[in-house]
Amino acid sequence: MIETVPILVTVNGTRHVLDVEPRMHAADLLRGMLGLTGTHVGCEQGVCGMCTILLDGTAVKGCLLLAPQLDGCEVETVEGLATGEELAPLQRAFKEAHALQCGFCTPGFLMAATALERSGRRLTREEIREELSGVLCRCTGYEGIVRAVERRLTGG
Amino acid sequence: MKPAPFEYVKAVSVADAVALLTEHRGDARLLAGGQSLVPMLNMRLLRPSVVIDVNGLADALGEIALQGDAVAVGALVRYAEIERSSLVAERVPLLRHVVAYIGDRQVRNRGTVGGAVAHADPTGEIALVTLALGAIMRAEGPDGVRDIHAEAFFLGPYTTALAPDEMLTHVIFPPAAPAFRFFERGRKHNDFAVLSLAVVGRPEPDGTWRDIRIALGGVHDRPVLAAAAARALEGRRWDDALVRDAALLALEDCDPPDDFRASAEYRRHLVPVHVRRMLSALAGGHE
Ligand SMILES: Cc1cc2nc3c(=O)[nH]c(=O)nc-3n(C[C@H](O)[C@H](O)[C@H](O)COP(=O)(O)OP(=O)(O)OC[C@H]3O[C@@H](n4cnc5c(N)ncnc54)[C@H](O)[C@@H]3O)c2cc1C
Ligand code: FES
Ligand code: FES
Repeated sequence: MIETVPILVTVNGTRHVLDVEPRMHAADLLRGMLGLTGTHVGCEQGVCGMCTILLDGTAVKGCLLLAPQLDGCEVETVEGLATGEELAPLQRAFKEAHALQCGFCTPGFLMAATALERSGRRLTREEIREELSGVLCRCTGYEGIVRAVERRLTGG
Repeated sequence: MKPAPFEYVKAVSVADAVALLTEHRGDARLLAGGQSLVPMLNMRLLRPSVVIDVNGLADALGEIALQGDAVAVGALVRYAEIERSSLVAERVPLLRHVVAYIGDRQVRNRGTVGGAVAHADPTGEIALVTLALGAIMRAEGPDGVRDIHAEAFFLGPYTTALAPDEMLTHVIFPPAAPAFRFFERGRKHNDFAVLSLAVVGRPEPDGTWRDIRIALGGVHDRPVLAAAAARALEGRRWDDALVRDAALLALEDCDPPDDFRASAEYRRHLVPVHVRRMLSALAGGHE
């Protein structure tokens, strides 16, 4: 019998003490144990970026992180962006630029873009595309997404 | 939860990691960035009974430091740290250059230099660069520390000279010839390479070239040096005919695989074409 591992993890500012199975990945923990289903799961092999979350402020793929690795860490998910009913500026930019259609990829893009926004870097359109290339969208195309992020990064 | 069950242990020191590897000989895996290991666990291509997390060892293994005139990169240095390091940009510019070809932002935020080398993907950019620059892998095992030359390190696909109870601690880059060119052909942006290629050399005042190294990725069961081609070019002045003949010689040191990314025939076609172009670019000082 494999033992569970006790962890203390802060998710969107709330501390959780949990017992996790070592083979559970972080995206499953967020969805299954905490009910935070905004973090999506696609390929579970690190390719699609649907599971992108911030780990101590850095964009990472949640499906490639074992749940016990979250011990002592701060995690941010898409649920942490809005304040009540009020969307974060980046989310508003997505809405205004029609940066989503089915929305399945949106949490991944929002988290990858949140890390970019906080870096304070001024990026060209090409650089934004490169920085976001770890998240795939299968329906809107990337134009609106890149436009939304570009507007935010240039203070628009 | 996709992986088969395993026990999770956090190593508190390199010695501890080595002791754990020794205790579970062959049945334990180190977890560094997890960007190759965790996909393989999720796909059940690997079913270790113990996963040893070494991410807590960043104090000992997370540094990029000058050692004499060599640059020692700790095994836990992440790609993103290579991107930000001015020491690497100045002293090992080829390493800095190729990181941009690896995965995507999230992968580069987590993946480590040590993990990339230990994983020994035949298409891996870091492995290619260790060969091109004659790097030395420093490993620690139950019997102490030993150094392994890049040329003796990669033994086959995902197979290295590391024993099951050894941990890679540093990749050391000695000073190398200053001029380089790198080329990669993939199926899509930042995907694993169909062909990757690094050429390194030193132009001499008399117009000849010295210390030529040509490393090829994706066209053999491991990254390889095109030794015959490099020998043909060493100490000579290059003209178009010499470069063309040397580029053909590159085929002598590789046996390209047939896989879902490309046929062996296509890879065999690419090798001399791009070796020639990179050598010409190196000689001409242009892209
Ligand atoms: C979407 C995606 C795209 C990618 N694209 C590329 C690419 O273009 N080019 C490329 O080269 N790679 C690519 N990778 C793989 C990536 O570079 C990995 O980070 C790398 O191969 C392994 O490094 P890691 O630190 O993540 O190691 P891990 O996944 O943690 O470990 C990999 C293996 O190395 C062993 N290991 C790790 N550290 C040590 C050590 N210090 N000593 C001994 N053994 C050790 C582990 O036990 C395991 O067997 C990609 C990965 C993903 C998910
Ligand atoms: S589910 Fe994590 S990258 Fe696809
Ligand atoms: S909006 Fe549907 S996948 Fe991106």
